[in-house]
Amino acid sequence: MRHPARWISLAVAGVVIVLGVVLALNVGTDPLAASKSSRLLGKTAPKIDLVDFAGNPVTSESLAGKTVVINFWNEWCDPCLQELPALRSFWQSHANDGDVAMVGVAHDPNMSQAGLAKYAQQAGLDWTLAKDPGNKAALDFAIRGQPETFVIAPTGEIVGYQYGAATVRGLESMLATARGG
Amino acid sequence: MTKRAWPWIALGVLVVVVLAVVVWPHGDPTPAERAHSIAAGLKCQECQGLSVADSGATTSRAIRADIARRIAAGQGDAEIRQHYVDQYGETILLDPQGSGISLLVWVLPVVVIVTGAAGIVFVLARNRREPRLHPTDADEALVERERAHEPEREDLA
Repeated sequence: MRHPARWISLAVAGVVIVLGVVLALNVGTDPLAASKSSRLLGKTAPKIDLVDFAGNPVTSESLAGKTVVINFWNEWCDPCLQELPALRSFWQSHANDGDVAMVGVAHDPNMSQAGLAKYAQQAGLDWTLAKDPGNKAALDFAIRGQPETFVIAPTGEIVGYQYGAATVRGLESMLATARGG
Repeated sequence: MTKRAWPWIALGVLVVVVLAVVVWPHGDPTPAERAHSIAAGLKCQECQGLSVADSGATTSRAIRADIARRIAAGQGDAEIRQHYVDQYGETILLDPQGSGISLLVWVLPVVVIVTGAAGIVFVLARNRREPRLHPTDADEALVERERAHEPEREDLA
């Protein structure tokens, strides 16, 4: 091969150009975007099989036909505390809607149900609350932390997802989507 | 075989021995080893820069328990990893997959190493064929003079 230095320079230039194109294509994209979205959005919700603090079953069957707001939370989580006013306000507006159910799933296995129930009473969480034995629901919904909120349409499809603290406006928007609005 | 070849042979033997030790199978891993290996390849979802194996976060603990359950149920390592990729996306993998844009991470270093090695080989071969420094007339004259005095030096010795 004649002029090997020239060929090596060309190869290095090629690598630099490829890297430049890759970087250019990724400018402006949020590298964490994928970790703030759920792959379940638009898919059929995983089967729900929980028991609420009062011992009643909370299942896909018992929730069938309703729009279900399912909120994963833990007592010790600061963003969960931050979103509590929004959840309370949203639920006050819709507690009497027969077509809406809201389920709070506490998924830290180290929290006792008695402690959680006491906290819920003090904090005024009057929607359905359940523990998540074995983190089955958390894993089925592929949650990344807490809080995370999913909205399931009456068809069973997940139509809304909120990573992090929910807002009233966001919850209302997801509810409207679930209702076909 | 010249003496110059021995270091290269020794280096070759060393490389082969190291590769054999690294690649040689060490027996079937236990379920716990398999679970740890899978968890070590998954990214903790609640923390920065930690694997599921190293994290004490709630979801990481749940994933570790789930991996153990799946192994006990007879699922293979690749099947379990794929389950988590299906659930969370490829971003859950600590090592990028060998497809799409992620392929660059694996291909580029190889391209750079091969190109660099080829460059070194070409330069060494060329220098062997055509030495870059050619003796001048003065150099030749100096060598001739020194050679002419060689018998005298041998006598003195």
